[in-house]
Amino acid sequence: MGGYVGKYLEVDLARGEITELPIAAEVQRKYLGGSGLAAYLFFQRGKWAADPLGPDNDLFILTGPISGTLIPGSSRFAVAARSPLTGIWGEGSAGGDFAPSLKRCGIDGIVVVGQSPKPVMLVLDEGKVELRDASELWGLDTYETTDRLRETMAGKKRPSVLSIGQAGENLVRFACIANNKHDFIGRTGMGAVMGSKRLKAVVCRGEGTVPIADPVSYKAICKSLVQMIGQAVPAQALKEMGTDSAMDLGMMIGDIPIANWSLGEDFELSNALSGPTMSETYLKRGLACYACPIACRREVEVPDGPYKTPVGPGPEYETCCSFGTMLNQKDLAGVIKSNEWCNRYGVDSITAGCTIAWAYDCFAKGLLTLEDTGGVELKFGEVDGAIAMLHKLAKREGIGDLLAEGSRGAAKKLGRGSEALTAEIKGLEIPMHDPRGSHGLALAYMTSYRGACHKAHLVEAIEHGLASYADVGLEENYEGLSSEGKAGMVRIGEDLGVPLNSLALCEFEMWCYQFDDLIRAIRAVTGWEDFSVEEYRKTGERLWLLKRCLNNLMGVTRADDRLPAKILTPLPDGAAAGLVPDEEMMLREYYEVRGLDEAGRPLSAVLEQAGLAEVGQVLHQRI
Amino acid sequence: MAMKFPSDEWVAAFHNAINESPEYKEGGKPWTFGVTALVVNAQPDLGINEAYGMWLDLHEGVCRESHHCTAEEAQTAPFCIFGDYARWKQVIHKELEPVKGMMQGKLKLKGNLQIIVRNVKAAQALVTCATRVPTQFLDEP
Ligand code: SF4
Repeated sequence: MGGYVGKYLEVDLARGEITELPIAAEVQRKYLGGSGLAAYLFFQRGKWAADPLGPDNDLFILTGPISGTLIPGSSRFAVAARSPLTGIWGEGSAGGDFAPSLKRCGIDGIVVVGQSPKPVMLVLDEGKVELRDASELWGLDTYETTDRLRETMAGKKRPSVLSIGQAGENLVRFACIANNKHDFIGRTGMGAVMGSKRLKAVVCRGEGTVPIADPVSYKAICKSLVQMIGQAVPAQALKEMGTDSAMDLGMMIGDIPIANWSLGEDFELSNALSGPTMSETYLKRGLACYACPIACRREVEVPDGPYKTPVGPGPEYETCCSFGTMLNQKDLAGVIKSNEWCNRYGVDSITAGCTIAWAYDCFAKGLLTLEDTGGVELKFGEVDGAIAMLHKLAKREGIGDLLAEGSRGAAKKLGRGSEALTAEIKGLEIPMHDPRGSHGLALAYMTSYRGACHKAHLVEAIEHGLASYADVGLEENYEGLSSEGKAGMVRIGEDLGVPLNSLALCEFEMWCYQFDDLIRAIRAVTGWEDFSVEEYRKTGERLWLLKRCLNNLMGVTRADDRLPAKILTPLPDGAAAGLVPDEEMMLREYYEVRGLDEAGRPLSAVLEQAGLAEVGQVLHQRI
Repeated sequence: MAMKFPSDEWVAAFHNAINESPEYKEGGKPWTFGVTALVVNAQPDLGINEAYGMWLDLHEGVCRESHHCTAEEAQTAPFCIFGDYARWKQVIHKELEPVKGMMQGKLKLKGNLQIIVRNVKAAQALVTCATRVPTQFLDEP
C-alpha cells in the first residue's frame, strides 16, 4: 500500500513528551487524511467541550495520502482544532512545501496536545524529533521567524517552517499559521490555537520518500494530469494573472463585495485591483507550490511611495477584495502593503479585512468615533485607516483589542446596533464572493461546517461556471441569480469538495480535469484498486456528516444555518440588484436531500448508512 | 425576417446591431485591441461543411468592418474564438457567457487572455447585440 507512512506524532507540550502512534489502514481509507482524519481523531478524543484557547483543545496538523507526491497540486496539508473564532469545528489548508517535508520525515501528521509553560518549537530534522526553546523567537513576525530558523538550520536542504506571528502569540481569534512566507492556514484562527500552546514554530527537514503503490501508473497519470492542466484555460488564467484573474468577470456577475457588502457594481474598482493590473504593475514573477505546474502565487514589489513593499508574497483575490473593494478603495499598492502586514503578523486576511470593513461602516454611521479608534479616521475609499487597524489588532492595542475578536465578537461587545453591519455565518466572515449573485453559494455558506466558507466545497466553481463536472451528475450551467434547484447541486458540490481538504489537493487543479482522472491518481498512489468516484463521493458525504455532528456537539442547530441581515438586504445596483437568496426554500430542500432533522442534526439512519453509527449514537444520546 | 446562423446576412445584421447598440457604444469603448474573429466549427450534419468565420473589426465601441472569412483568415486576427455550433447557439441565447465558456474550454481562444478577461463588459454588450439579431438556427424548424 502507498501514500501513507501510517503513523503520526502526538506531541504533549505540557509534559514535553513525543509519542509515535499508528493510523490503521481502514481509518486511512475511511477518512482519507488531512481534515477528514483530523475530524475522526477529534471525535475519538471526545474533547468537543474544550476551551478553544485552553490546554484541552488538541491541534491536528495532518497530510493526506497524495500529499508530497508529484500529483499536481498535492502539496497541501490541513490544520484543525476547535476554532477560537467561531467556537465550532475549525480547519484550514495550505500549499507550500510543508506537507512533502513532513512526509519525508517519515510521518503523516502531528497532533499537538496541552500547553507549554514557555515558548517552544518542534523540530524534525533528519530522523530526530525534539522540542526546543523558542523564547528568542517569541515576538518576531512570521517572515522574521522563517528567516531566523532557516539561517540557524542552514544546510544542504532548506527546512520547511510553520510559524505564527505576533497575532497568534496575542491570541487574536483569527490568527493564521504561515508555511514559510507564502502559504497560510488562514481561516478559523488556527494560529491562535498554536499561540495558546506557546508553540511558535514547527520546522521539518527530511530525506525520505512517499511510498507509491503502482509507480508505473503513477508516472503515467502524473504526466497526463500535467498535460491536461497545461491545456486548461483556468490554469492559464491563474498562471498569467493569479487568483485575481477574473475580478472583472466577478463584477459582471455580481460576485464582488463592495463597501462592506453595500454596493453591487464598480468596474473601475475591479479594473484597478484585478490580476491583469497586478501583472502589469507590481508583479515580479509567479511562484508555485511544490509540484504545481500552475504557479498562481504572486511575488510582487512596490518600489516606492507610501506603500513601498520589498519583493515578497503578493495578495490573492480574497485580499484584493478584503482590503480593496470591501473598503471601496482602488489603491493596489495599499492592498499589497496590507497583505504584507497580514502575512507578517499572521492574521487571516479575509476576517481581518472584513472586521476592519465592519469598523469602517460603524465609523461612517457614527457607531465608532475618533475617540474609539485612537484618532484614526476610518473612511471608505482610503486604506491607511485599515493598515493602522491591522497594527493595533495584531498587538491588541486600544480598539485593536475589540477587532481582534473578529466581527461577530467585536459587534457583540460594541453593541449599538453594530451587529447588523456584520456579514458572517456561525462566526466566520463571508469570503469575497457575494452570495446575492450566486444563490447556491449562499446555501453552501449556510451549510458549510466551518461557517461561511468557499473552500469546503466546489459550489463556487460550479455555479460560476469555472469548472464543470458532467461525469458526476451536475448540469453544465447554473443560473447564479436563482434559488431554484440549488440544494441538490450544493450537496454534490460539498461531497466532491470536502475530500480535497483530506487528500489534500489544491482545488484549482480540479478545475482542469475530471474526477475520473483524480481517482486514477489516488488508486496509483494508494493501491486501492477498487476505489471509485462513487466511493470518493460517499467519503465526502461521510466527512461532511462527521463534521456536522461535531458541530452539533459543539452547539450548532438549524438556527445557525442562516444568512446575515446584510446579505438579506438587496443591493442597489449591479447584476444582483434587488435580489436576495430564498434562504428558507433552499434550506428546506437541502435538509431533505442531506437528511437532517428539524434540529439540524443528521438523522441516525443517514449516519448509519455513512458508516458513522457510533457518532450517531453519541450525538443522539447527548442532544 | 429571421436570418440563418451562420450566414453572410447574419454577419451583416450583427454588424448593424452592434452599431445601433447604446450598450456596445458604451461597453465596447475600451476595446482598442483589434479584430475579433468568431469561428463556428464545421458541422456537416447541419450543412456547415467548412468552419465559418466572422471577421469583426471592433474599435472603441464601433464595428468598423465585418465579413465572412475562412478559419485560416480568422486565425490571423489578434483574437480568434472557436466553438461548436451548439456553443454559439448557447451564447446567442445568453445561456453561455463567452468568457466563462473560454474558462470551461467550451470556446477556444487564440489571443491574449488578459485582455479578454478585463474586457468582459464589451463581451457582454456584444452578446446583447447578437440576441437582437432575428436568428434562424440551422437545427430548428
Ligand atoms: S494552483 Fe496555486 S495554490 Fe494551487 S498548488 Fe498551484 S501554486 Fe499552489
